Parts: sequence; structure tokens; C-alpha cells
Amino acid sequence: MVSHVIPKTYAEALTVLKAGNHRVIAGGTDMMVRHRAWAGLPPLFDKPVLFAFTLSELKYVKEDEQVICIGAMTDLETLLHHERTPALLRQVIAIMASPAIRYVSTLAGNIVNASPAADSLLALYALDAQVVLESTSGKRILSIEKTIVGPGKTVLHDDEMVAEIRIPKTRFTHTMFRKVGGRRADAITKIGFVGCATVNEGIIRDLRLVFNAVAPVVVREKSVEALHVGHSVKNVLSDTDTLMHHYSEHIKPIDDQRSNQHYRKEAALRLARHFLDTLA
Amino acid sequence: MPDIHQSVPKIDAKEKISGRMTYVADMRYDDMLYAKTVRSSQAHARIRSVRVPTLPEGYHVVDHRDIPGKNVVKMIFDDWPVFASDTVHHVGEPIMLVVGPDKRIVQTLVDAIVIDYEPLNPTFSMTDSVVNYHYDKGDPASAFKAADTTVAYDYETGYQEQAYIEPQGFIGTYDDERIHLIGSIQAPYYVKNAVIDTMACDPDAIRVVQATVGGAFGGKEEFPSLMGCQLAVALNKIKRPIKLIYEREEDMDVTTKRHPSKTRIEGAIKEGRITALRIHIGIDGGAFIGLSGVVLSRAIIAATSAYTVDNLDVSGDVYKTNTVPNGAFRGFGAPQMIYAVEMFFHHVAKHLNVDVHDFRLKHLAKQGNHTSTSGLFRDPILMPEMIERACAMSDYHTKRKAYANPEVYKGIGMSWFLHGCGFTGSGEAEHIKAKIKLEKLPDGLVYLRVAAVDMGQGAKTTLMKVAAKTLDLPLERIRYENPDTDLVPDSGPTVASRTAMVVGGLVARAATKLKKTWIDDEHQVIHEQYVQPDYVRWNQDTFTGDAYPAYSWGVNVVEVEVDKTTLEVEVKHIWSTYDVGQSLDDNIVLGQADGGTAQGVAYGYLEVMRHREGKLLHKNMTDYVIPTAVDMAKTTTELYNNPFALGPYGAKGAGELTLVGGAPAVALAIEMAIGKRVHAIPATPEYLMEVLHHAND
Ligand SMILES: Cc1cc2nc3c(=O)[nH]c(=O)nc-3n(C[C@H](O)[C@H](O)[C@H](O)COP(=O)(O)OP(=O)(O)OC[C@H]3O[C@@H](n4cnc5c(N)ncnc54)[C@H](O)[C@@H]3O)c2cc1C
Repeated sequence: MVSHVIPKTYAEALTVLKAGNHRVIAGGTDMMVRHRAWAGLPPLFDKPVLFAFTLSELKYVKEDEQVICIGAMTDLETLLHHERTPALLRQVIAIMASPAIRYVSTLAGNIVNASPAADSLLALYALDAQVVLESTSGKRILSIEKTIVGPGKTVLHDDEMVAEIRIPKTRFTHTMFRKVGGRRADAITKIGFVGCATVNEGIIRDLRLVFNAVAPVVVREKSVEALHVGHSVKNVLSDTDTLMHHYSEHIKPIDDQRSNQHYRKEAALRLARHFLDTLA
Repeated sequence: MPDIHQSVPKIDAKEKISGRMTYVADMRYDDMLYAKTVRSSQAHARIRSVRVPTLPEGYHVVDHRDIPGKNVVKMIFDDWPVFASDTVHHVGEPIMLVVGPDKRIVQTLVDAIVIDYEPLNPTFSMTDSVVNYHYDKGDPASAFKAADTTVAYDYETGYQEQAYIEPQGFIGTYDDERIHLIGSIQAPYYVKNAVIDTMACDPDAIRVVQATVGGAFGGKEEFPSLMGCQLAVALNKIKRPIKLIYEREEDMDVTTKRHPSKTRIEGAIKEGRITALRIHIGIDGGAFIGLSGVVLSRAIIAATSAYTVDNLDVSGDVYKTNTVPNGAFRGFGAPQMIYAVEMFFHHVAKHLNVDVHDFRLKHLAKQGNHTSTSGLFRDPILMPEMIERACAMSDYHTKRKAYANPEVYKGIGMSWFLHGCGFTGSGEAEHIKAKIKLEKLPDGLVYLRVAAVDMGQGAKTTLMKVAAKTLDLPLERIRYENPDTDLVPDSGPTVASRTAMVVGGLVARAATKLKKTWIDDEHQVIHEQYVQPDYVRWNQDTFTGDAYPAYSWGVNVVEVEVDKTTLEVEVKHIWSTYDVGQSLDDNIVLGQADGGTAQGVAYGYLEVMRHREGKLLHKNMTDYVIPTAVDMAKTTTELYNNPFALGPYGAKGAGELTLVGGAPAVALAIEMAIGKRVHAIPATPEYLMEVLHHAND
């Protein structure tokens, strides 16, 4: 059995992490499942654990002119009902897990768990979220894309933890979110999609297409998006095949117990096409 | 007492809802040891050697060499070993138990055991038939010869997992040379009889007590006999209390499931009617036969479901594969067949380009018709009014016209079905021979001594109501404890929609006798035994005669909307009408109806389980998707009164009936929504995507 620490303050937490051999537990809804043991036995943690969920210093939702800042230990249920939570993120959280799980799980946990099927990532990628990492030696602020590098892999150092998630305030004329899971609640995503766009007088001013569960990391191709900004919706819609072709290269889903590659790919592209159709 | 159908609070509801109820996992004894099963990692292999590390003091392994009697679990067909000896036949097959006081050490020992296998060729396809049944009705060959045309279609169904909320488990003690097992079980005497054979002991040496059961759905019919035998062998060797409780994943990985099936139906059509059917169903039995033959019987007998077809050639096979053995599950073979038959009738009507509803009505079974096995539908059949009512409630006819437009992606499907109540054929009379006892104590309390298990379905409440009403006593004067084989006679397993009708019937008869002979302040015992009605004749060799003493009937209507982009299915509403004879408690029957349709509809579109090379891919509640409250559609259910003379107050079966029609109703609705035929369930978005790309109509 491994040891555990329940720090009283955030500063204490960072000091504990400094040694570099503790694993952070926020809500534990991934950690406890991953390290489950025979009922009645303690979980099989591989490292000492630091329980961070009680750190009230990290439970907040703040904002300034440009950014909404979410403390890392804010639970999802709070975010779901908070008026400052961006609407798109709220929409995504609303279909995550179930109320019981949402009360004890966090955005930071969803990010660091780095599952290609994590739901909140769709919104965080679409909204250009930034992740604030902190250790006793200071802070690093990284884009969400730079934070996650592979399934279950992030660039966090052993002595760092996520302190905050920052989401720039952005307005769109069109947004769409769809999660395809095995069922309508408490489901792991088979394939998910977020589309955001701003269309002004028939011209696309901003376009963001994000897919999850279709590749080792969430797919957002800013270069492809950029190709279409400044063009008329009409133009883009007259040749969605080219656009789909671009995404085809990045959408490389797998066969697993939840779905198959063929369905995932086709459903992903159909959702994107459907979103584009709504721009007209 | 008011009318029997009027609901009372379920007698175990408070304890269960408040969380105070004790389940087997909650029980403990001083000195108790924990058992964990060592299992095969191979689908088919010879065991060359088993290397067990040196066991610390107080730790034991238990395997086939410790079995005093037969290394086989007594079921219907005795081919299932208690522990694998030299060969393993499926991934997860039990080889030994490791037993000891500290779970951590037990787990470490399990992990340290090294088994050397010599791989053998596994079979995963349905090719190796181990049971074959066949029957004819009328003269199918001539009917096919005389046909205007013939049509044939194929249908497939997948696995279904019972997904009871409480995994399987037992706790056992050894006192005074007796083995005492307490378990989450549906059939206390199945366990007792199996253990007697395995232990080669005197029947008195075995006591089996049912612990409160947290759901079963057939999954705790025969499988617990295997665990009970293993635990008995361990108790006999170690002589200390032992607990054997499965974890969720272990449970889903190794316990019995609904048989995947493949059915081919060929119809002879003359003058717009089906004059004959040739049907073959194959079911995947898994590695051992167990109950599969009986499941196959029920499947082939359901060949015409709620229709009458005069000429039949029906056959079926159980195939042995190197996969987890399949077994009992609510519906017991009927859901697979009823799905296929309902789809077939629709597909034929479409092929003939005639109105589906009229076409089906032409074939609907009527009182006095011959059943699939040439028995007789003796009792009134209320289906015409039940169908009409279901159509009215759901606005079926308006909707099916509106949804014919392929652009709307909505659909409405209707299924008609029956379910034979009680054991198939002569099972009740020849195998079960149910006995019960009614015991009145001097203080005036009346005890039901029956082996029937309340697994959440409400058996305690309904049987107590039957006794109370017949005796004209308040419910509080009736007692019904969890069955203990030391105290209750063998009234049979709690399966086959037989408990209310058969066991309840015996309770009513005993109560009538007790009332007549009642003497205050005296200890009185009334015995009753099942007697087959004279008119029931059954020939098991030819599958002819009355397969069941009575039938329950039902209609399900399911409405769906399919997402155009992703092909996800949303079930909007489920309407049902049921004839269960006489409801013994409306809330309980409606509870069965909601649960049954939820499980039956989900079987048709949601619940996916597959294996790869014999390893199941869906073995927890994350991957094996059953509906949540959010997925569950609104239900509207109406019950019809059609009392059956031999059931208590006219009751027939209600438990399985409510499941068997769900899959075809939802599949037909989906078919209407996407405008393509659905030949396989579950009709998942993945399957529908394939159908849209490849199928022609
Ligand atoms: C029943 C159930 C349903 C679920 N449904 C969904 C769903 O619909 N969609 C979905 O995306 N997920 C779902 N999940 C997964 C899980 O709930 C989410 O990923 C959740 O956001 C994890 O948050 P947590 O706080 O519980 O993380 P934890 O389990 O505490 O941690 C997860 C990982 O993040 C690390 N971590 C957490 N916080 C920090 C931090 N501040 N700094 C550094 N590292 C940190 C941990 O070390 C760990 O590696 C579900 C889980 C369950 C059990």
C-alpha cells in the first residue's frame, strides 16, 4: 500500500509535489477506476498520492475582459451551473457522466487523463483553452494542444500540477456539439464533434472543427480551418468534398469494443458536413 | 382484503430502498476465509502442468482432485466440470480456488500460479452440433410443393448479459459434518442437488439457503450450482467459513449469457397466406451444453409466436464452441425466435406488397387453433382487442402512414407475442414435481414453505397476498422467509414464469384447505403437490402436444427517431397491452412490464456483447451498455383480464412475457425509420450504417 498526503494549502501541495514522486488525485473518477482492486482492498496506486480535491484555493471561476479562469479543483457540476462557464463548455459537461460523477470530477482531471475520448477537450480545443501548470519553481502556460501529446500522455513534469484552465471569451454565430456514445448518459464517447463558426454577410470569419475519439489525440486542424476563412459559405458548401478530404487524413479511428473505424470515420465526417450545412 | 390486483407496498421495499437489506456480500463470520478462482487463459488447451507457489500457513488451493464425488455440475445435461482437470474449453474456465484469510495474499497467490498449456484447436463458429431437435406440424412438404411462391430470410441475434445489479456470490460454513451454503440464487434445490452429486454425500449433509437476491434474470438459475459445488469442495477440505463473491468483471466474463442465434425461415405462400414454414435456428451453446437443449426447445416451440401456421418443419441445433457457456436468461430461447418470426412476417408482407397489418391479422392465432406443436389453444385469446387498443394508444396507423416518408427518419414498430407459462412439456410433471407446505403456528401466523425466490420480481408479496386473501387474513399474519432447504420442500426453481401460476396455484390450494380445517391455537401443516391437468399431453420425442398448460399474450408498440447524421436511435415511447391472466398486484406486474420491455427493447438496439477468439470484449458496465434512466422511453401499459382456471385467482406468467416482444418491435420501428430491412440485432448505429451502404431495400 502506498502513502498519501492531504495538503491543507495549495502551497503545501506544491511542496509535496516537489519531490517528484506523488500523483495528484482530483475527483478520483479516473484514478480510482484505473487502480481498482478486489473489493475490500485498497486501490492499487503505483505511487504515493496527493489528494487535491479539498484545496479550496483551486475552486473558483473568475473572469476578466478577455478570459474565464477556472480553478483546477472546481467540480464539473459547479461548472455546469456557473453563469460564467462558456455556453459550449456547459453543453459538453451536461452530457458528461452522470450527476454523481460530475459532483466529484474536474476539468483538470479530464485534461491530464488525456483520453482521446475525453469530452471536455472538444470544447477546450475549440475555445483555444490554455492550461496553467505550476510547481514550486514557477508557472507555465500552455495551449491545450501543447499540453496533451498522446493517449494518456501530457507534458506535465512530475513536480507540476494543473492550477487553472483559461478560456478566452469568444463569440460565434454558429456552434454545434454532438457526442455519439453507446447511450444517452454515462457513456464513453464513440465519436464526438464540435463545430464553431462566425459567419458575417455570407462570409466565414472564423471556423473551428474539432473531433474526438478519432485519433490518438483530439483532432483540430487549424491550417485546414484557415483555408476556409474569408471564403463565402456558398463556396465552401459547393465543395465540401475537398474539406472532407483534408480531414480524412487526420481522422484515423480504431476498432474497439465500443465502435468500429468505418462508423467512426463516416459519422465524424457526416457531423462536420452537417455542421457546415447549418451555416447556409 | 380488497381485490387481489390492487397494489400493496412490496413487503421488502423498505429494507431494500433504505439500504438496510443484507446481501451475501455483507455477511461475515469470524475466522472467515476468502476464495478466488484461478481461470483458464486459453480457449482450448490441454493443461500440461500447474505450478503453485509454496503456500503460506493457512492458505489452500482446491481443485478437481479434492472432489469426493463426480466432477460434473448436475444440470439438465451433465457435461460441465466443477473444476477443469486436464483440458480447458473456454477462456475463464475455473481450474482451482485459492483460499485464505487475507485477500491481498490470496490475490498474490492467484497471480503467481503458473499454468503450462498445450494449445488445441478452438472452434468459434456454429458448426459443431451437440443437440438437434426437429418437429413437423401438418404436411409441410406438400404445402411447399403447392405454394405460389416461397420466400426465405436469415436473422441473427447477439449475446445478452443479464446485468443483475448484484454479482454472483456464496458464503459457506462447515458445521457438524454438514455443508451450509448461503447464496444469491434462483433455485435452492438445483444447488443442493448438484452439491450432493459432487460431494457424493447424504442429502441431509447439505443445506442451502437463499440470501436476498439483487437481481437474477435467469443468470442465477444454473450458474450458482457450479459455484456452490466448488465452495462445497473447499468447505469439505478446509472446514472453515469461506466467502466466494465475484467481482463485476469476473461475473460478466465467466457467467452464462443469452445464446447468440442464427435463424433461417423459409415460407410457402399461397393466395396471400403463409401456408407453411421451414425454420432452422442455431444457438451458440458455448463450451458446455448445460441448459442449452432446454433453451433450444423453447426457441423451436415459439416458432410461430402469436400466429397460426398449419404446416411446419422446425428444427434447431445447439452448437458447441470454445466460448463461455450460455444459459438461462429471461425468455429462454423465445426472444431469439420471436424476433426472427416477427421480422419474417413483415418482410414477407413487404415482399408480397400487401398491407403488413392485414397480413398479420390473417395469421393471428385464435382459440381452438392448433399450436406450433399441434397442441390446442384452449383458452380465450384476447389479442384482437389488445392489438386494437395498442394501436389506438400509440396512434399506430396514423404514424405508420406518416413515417412511410423516408425523409422523416421516424418509425413505429409493433410486435405480437405469447409466452408459454411454466416448464416446457412434461417438465413440471416429470422433473419438477413441485411440493409446498403451508405451516400454521399456534400463534396464528401462517408460514409459506416454498423454495421460490424473490429476486426483486415480487414473488414474496404476490404469494403472500394469495395466501392472505384465500385465508381471509391480513397480510401481516403471513410469513415468507428466504427459502432454506432444511425448512421448505422443493417447489421447483424460480424460473420459466412458473412461480405465480404454479407455486402460487399450490399456495392457493393449500390455503383453501387450511381455511377449511382451521383450528385456533393449533400447529397445522398442509402439504400440496403439483398435478398436471389431465388434458395436457406432451410427447418429448416428437415435440407434439401441449407444450405449456397456458399462454400469456402481449403487444408492444415502439416508436423511434433515428438521427439522420449519426444513425443513433432514440426510443420515444413504448406502449404495451398484456394478458397475464389475472394480475396479482398491479404495481408488481407493471414493474415487470417496464423492466421487461426495457431489457427486451435494449436487446434489440443497444446491448452489444462480442468476443474475439473466445475473449469477451464487453465485461464491465462501461463497455456493456444497458439503458440508463435517460435512455428509457416513456411506457404506457394496460393489463387485460383473462383468468386461467388453474392459476391462483386466474394468474398466468408475467416475468418473461414482457421481454420477448421488445426486440422485434424496436427493430421494426428502426426499419421503418431508415427504410431498410433489419436482419440482425442489436441494430446499432454501426450496423445501420452498414445496412444503408449495402442493403437494397
Ligand atoms: C461512471 C463514469 C462516467 C464517466 N463519464 C465520462 C464522460 O461522459 N466523459 C468524459 O470525458 N469522462 C468521463 N468519465 C471520466 C472522468 O470522470 C473524467 O475524465 C473526469 O473529468 C476526471 O476528473 P477527476 O477529477 O475525477 O480526475 P482524477 O481521476 O482525479 O484524475 C485523472 C488524472 O488527472 C490527474 N490530475 C487530476 N487533477 C490534476 C491536477 N490538478 N494536476 C495534475 N494532474 C491532475 C491525475 O493524476 C490522473 O492522472 C467518467 C468516469 C466515470 C467513473
